[in-house]
Amino acid sequence: MGHHELWFTELLNNYFAAPAQAALNLAGIEAVNPARPWANFVAMEVLVALIIVVLFAVLRSALSVHHPGKLQHVFELIYNFLHQQADEIIGHHDGPKYVAFAGTLFIFVLFGNLIGVVPSFESPTMFAPVPLGCAMATFLVYNILGLKANGAGYLKHFTGPILWLTPLMLPIEIISHLARPMSLTIRLYANMVAGEKVTLVFLSLTYFLVPVVFMGLHVFVSLIQAFIFMVLTMIYIGGAVSHEEH
Amino acid sequence: MKSKMFLLLFAMFVLATPTFAQDTAASARPAITITSGIAMALASGLCALGQGRALASSAEAIARNPGAGNVIRGVLILGLAFIESLALFTFVIIAAKF
Repeated sequence: MGHHELWFTELLNNYFAAPAQAALNLAGIEAVNPARPWANFVAMEVLVALIIVVLFAVLRSALSVHHPGKLQHVFELIYNFLHQQADEIIGHHDGPKYVAFAGTLFIFVLFGNLIGVVPSFESPTMFAPVPLGCAMATFLVYNILGLKANGAGYLKHFTGPILWLTPLMLPIEIISHLARPMSLTIRLYANMVAGEKVTLVFLSLTYFLVPVVFMGLHVFVSLIQAFIFMVLTMIYIGGAVSHEEH
Repeated sequence: MKSKMFLLLFAMFVLATPTFAQDTAASARPAITITSGIAMALASGLCALGQGRALASSAEAIARNPGAGNVIRGVLILGLAFIESLALFTFVIIAAKF
């Protein structure tokens, strides 16, 4: 990490060092290099967010019922897919409410994964803090939604099926719930790092066209991982908001 | 033919050595290099066995009941991701120790 500044990081460091410093001071953190506080993955994260905002602003202004453009078709396809997944996983009644959160995560993770394929950029999801942020968001959201949907009854999820099993089940459940953000984080970032490493190793073993195959594989893995992240978010939300009916 | 194969393998190893030699910190601790190689081999081999079983039974299930293909495919992809993540945990531990 931090061995080499990408051009976008350099740009941010040259012109936006002061706001980053202010933000870091506010959080009480000392930057590794105070003159150049932007790390590569933070800069890439900001870039991905910017791309998404611009893309959706363009999409919003071009929306049309009678003459839908190509972009609108693509995003209608993605939206229908997300909607269908939410219907299947969370349920017809509750599902559509949570498309916004899971879909946002899906788009962000997908763009974060795929931007690594573009030369001179690297995936922000290759560094543990970014997937950890997404996973913590999922963790907080599904617990809060569970509390909101079931009230104090949500705590029954942790106590196991029978009352006298509670002392045994409570630690197990707590640990398994805490392991969820960890496994989400590690799955995403290890997949991204491994994909990049495989490409690099094959680049050093062979000549310049062979690793392209592995970059294709990496694109496929990026899609699958974004999908998995979204599905698991939906499964966790679905598990938290479901009403116990037995 | 055999000597050609040997030459090819030899060339591959010669080309491969610079990638391993770059890491001076790891070569100073040979046990870590060896154990991480073995750990990754075990993890990915067993992960492949598990994924193979999952894939085999889901292919069989789709062949028996093509109508349920979409559901089975979803479960398969999710299961494969879970199985794969165990191998990736090993990879992360190795990357942290290396």
